[in-house]
Amino acid sequence: MPTIKVDHLSFSYPTESGETPLTLNDISASFPSHHFSLLTGASGSGKSTLMKIISGLYPQFGGRVIAGQITLDGNPVPDIPETNRGRLVAMMFQNPNQQFAMDTVEREVIFALENQHVAPSEMMSRVTQALRYVEIEPLRHRNLNSLSGGEKQKVALAVIIAMQTDTILLDEPFASVDPEARQLLLAKLSQLQRKQGKTIIISDHDLEDYGQFVDELFVLDATGEHLEQLNHETAQNRLQHFSREQNNTIHFELPTTAEKTLYTGRDLSLQAGERTLINQPELGFFQHHITLLTGPNGSGKSTLLSAMSKLHDYGGSLTFNHKEVAKIRPRQLYRQVAMVFQDADQQFLNVTVEEEIALSLKNSQQHEYFKSRLSRLLTSLHLDQLQDHVVYTLSGGQKKKLQILEMLMMATPVLLFDEPFTGLDLASMQQIMAVMKQVATDCQLTLIIISHQLFGLNQLIDYHLTLANKKLEYVEGLA
Amino acid sequence: MNPSLKLLLGVLIALEISFTRSWMVNLGLAVIGLVIILTSRPKLSRFLLLLVIPLIPAVALAMAILLQSNAGTHFAIVLFTRIYAYVFIGSAVTMTTSISDLVMSLEQNAHVPSKFAYGFLGAFNLLPKIVSEVNIIRAAGNMRGQTLHVWSPKLYFKAVLASLNWSENLAEAMTSHGFVEDAPRSYFKRIHIRWWDWATLIGVLVILQFALFGLHLQ
Repeated sequence: MPTIKVDHLSFSYPTESGETPLTLNDISASFPSHHFSLLTGASGSGKSTLMKIISGLYPQFGGRVIAGQITLDGNPVPDIPETNRGRLVAMMFQNPNQQFAMDTVEREVIFALENQHVAPSEMMSRVTQALRYVEIEPLRHRNLNSLSGGEKQKVALAVIIAMQTDTILLDEPFASVDPEARQLLLAKLSQLQRKQGKTIIISDHDLEDYGQFVDELFVLDATGEHLEQLNHETAQNRLQHFSREQNNTIHFELPTTAEKTLYTGRDLSLQAGERTLINQPELGFFQHHITLLTGPNGSGKSTLLSAMSKLHDYGGSLTFNHKEVAKIRPRQLYRQVAMVFQDADQQFLNVTVEEEIALSLKNSQQHEYFKSRLSRLLTSLHLDQLQDHVVYTLSGGQKKKLQILEMLMMATPVLLFDEPFTGLDLASMQQIMAVMKQVATDCQLTLIIISHQLFGLNQLIDYHLTLANKKLEYVEGLA
Repeated sequence: MNPSLKLLLGVLIALEISFTRSWMVNLGLAVIGLVIILTSRPKLSRFLLLLVIPLIPAVALAMAILLQSNAGTHFAIVLFTRIYAYVFIGSAVTMTTSISDLVMSLEQNAHVPSKFAYGFLGAFNLLPKIVSEVNIIRAAGNMRGQTLHVWSPKLYFKAVLASLNWSENLAEAMTSHGFVEDAPRSYFKRIHIRWWDWATLIGVLVILQFALFGLHLQ
C-alpha cells in the first residue's frame, strides 16, 4: 500500500512578470511505505522541489502547485493539520547550516519535542536515545555553529529520530559529508527502515554505496517532466554499474624540492573555537600546479583555505610569496588569491547572471582571453539561456557552475576552491572540470581544491594533499 | 528575578528618569546598576568598555547644553548622569539574564506569541554570523576587483539578502522541526513568576517614587 502518492503534479516558481514556468510538469509516482526509496536525477531537475512539496514546506514557503496533488495515505498534504505533520513526515536539508533554530544540540532536540507537545518528564530520555542512536552523545552540549557539516547532518537525523517521524525525507543529505559519516548515516537509516518500519526517501545524484540499502529507485528527468520508477532489474543494474571511482590504480607524483613554493607554512596551527584543527611543522603549496586537498569532515580543510585567504586567524607562520599572510593588505592579497566559496550565494555580488558575468569580464586579469571565449563557455555549461535570471533563483548546480566560471574568469593567479562540485551531476562536473583544466593551463593559474567528490578528479589534479589527525601530507594515491 | 519582570522594571525606570530632573537619583541608579553588573563578574575589557563608551554621548550632551543653551549647569549634570543610569541599568538587566531564559519567560509569562519569541532568539543566534558574513562579503568584493566600503549600498544589499535568506531558512527549519504558530507546546523548562518577583518590582518602583518625590521637596 503506497503512503506517498504523487498524482499528476505540476509545480512552478512564478516569475515577477507573472509567468509560470513549470519546474515539475505533470509527474506521477507512488513511494511505498516502509521502503527505502532513492530519487535520482540531474542537478536542476527539481528533486529538492519535489521533496519540499512532499514535506509540506512548499507551497507554504514558495512556489505554486499548478495542478495535481500529493497525498499521504490518501490525504492531500495541505489538508493534513500542521500539528500532525511532524509525526508523519520530516525532512533533512541539503545544506547542513540551514536546519536549526536553537544554539546547542540538546536545545534543538528539545525544541522539536516541545513543538510536539511531549511531556517534559519524557524529554531527556528521548534526547539521550536519539543522540545515542546516531552515536553523537559527546556533541550533546556543543554549539551547533561549531560543528562540521557531517556532524550537523547527524544532529539533524537525531532530531528526526527523537520526533519519531514515520516518513523521513532526505534531500541530497551527503553533499558535504565525508565517506565515513555517509556510511554511518546510511546504515542508521537502513536500520530505521528495517527495524522500525520507517519510510525513507533520499534524493541524490550520486548512487554509490546505495546498492545494498535501496528497495526502489526513482528517476526524475532533467526537465522535470517524467518521474519514473525503475523495475527491480534495471534499478539493480544501474546501482551496481554506477561507480564513482576506480581509485586504486591512480598514481600521483609527489612534489619535488625543486618546485617553487607559493605558500609556505612553519609551525602553522589552526583552531576552531577551542579545538585545534591543524598543527603542522612544515607545509608548502606549489606554483602552477593543481593540488587536491582531502580529509575527513570537520578536520579543518575549509579553515585552512580561509586562513590562506585571510578569513581565519592562524598561529605560527604562513607566508605567501615570502610575505606573512596576516601582514598583507586585503586588497593586495585578493588580487593574487581568490576563493571559490562553498556556499555559492556568498560569491555573488549582483542580481542577474548577465551582470555577474559582466563584472568578472570587466575586472578580469585575462580580459581578452575570456572575451573571445565567453559565449562558448556559457553554452558548454548550459548557462547561455539563463542570462536574465536572478542568480539566487538558480538551482544548486547552476549556481555552482556560474560561480566557478565567474571566478575562473577573474584569472586570479591563485584560486582556492572549497567543495566546488557539490550538487553537480556527473555530466556537469565533467564539463566544469574540463573548463577548469583548460583555463588553469592557458592562464598559468595555481588551483587548490577541496573535494569529497573524487570521480574523474585524477584528470584534473597534479598533487594530492591529505589532512588527517591534524597533519597534512602529500600522498601518491587518491582513495 | 523573573526575566520578563526584570526587563519591565528596567524599562519603567528608564522611562521614569526620562521625565524627571534629579541628578542624585540618576547617580544612585547608576551606582546600583554598577554594583549589579559587578556581581555578574564581567570580563575586564567589557567592563571598561561599559565605562568608557557612554562617556562620549554623555560629555557631548553636557557640553552642548553648557555651551549652546541657557538651561544651566544643573541640567547638564542631569543629562550626563542620566546617560550613565540608562546604560548601567540596561546592562544590569541584560548581563544578569540569559537570552534563552528571557525568551522562554517572554513566551510563557508575558505571552508574547511564540513566533516572535523564537524569531528573536534565532536572530540573536545569527548576530556573530552577520559579523563574519560582512567580512566575507567584503572579501568576495575584493576578489572580484570591487571594493565595498562601509558606506557602499552593495554591502548592505548583500547583508540584507543574506539575512532574508537566513530568516527564511530559519522559518523552514522551525517548521520542519514541528513548530506551528499558535499551536500548544509543552515546555521543558517552566519559568515561573513568584510573589517576590512582583514584590521586587513594586518595591523598587515605590522606593524610586519616594526618592524622586523626596528630593523634589527639598
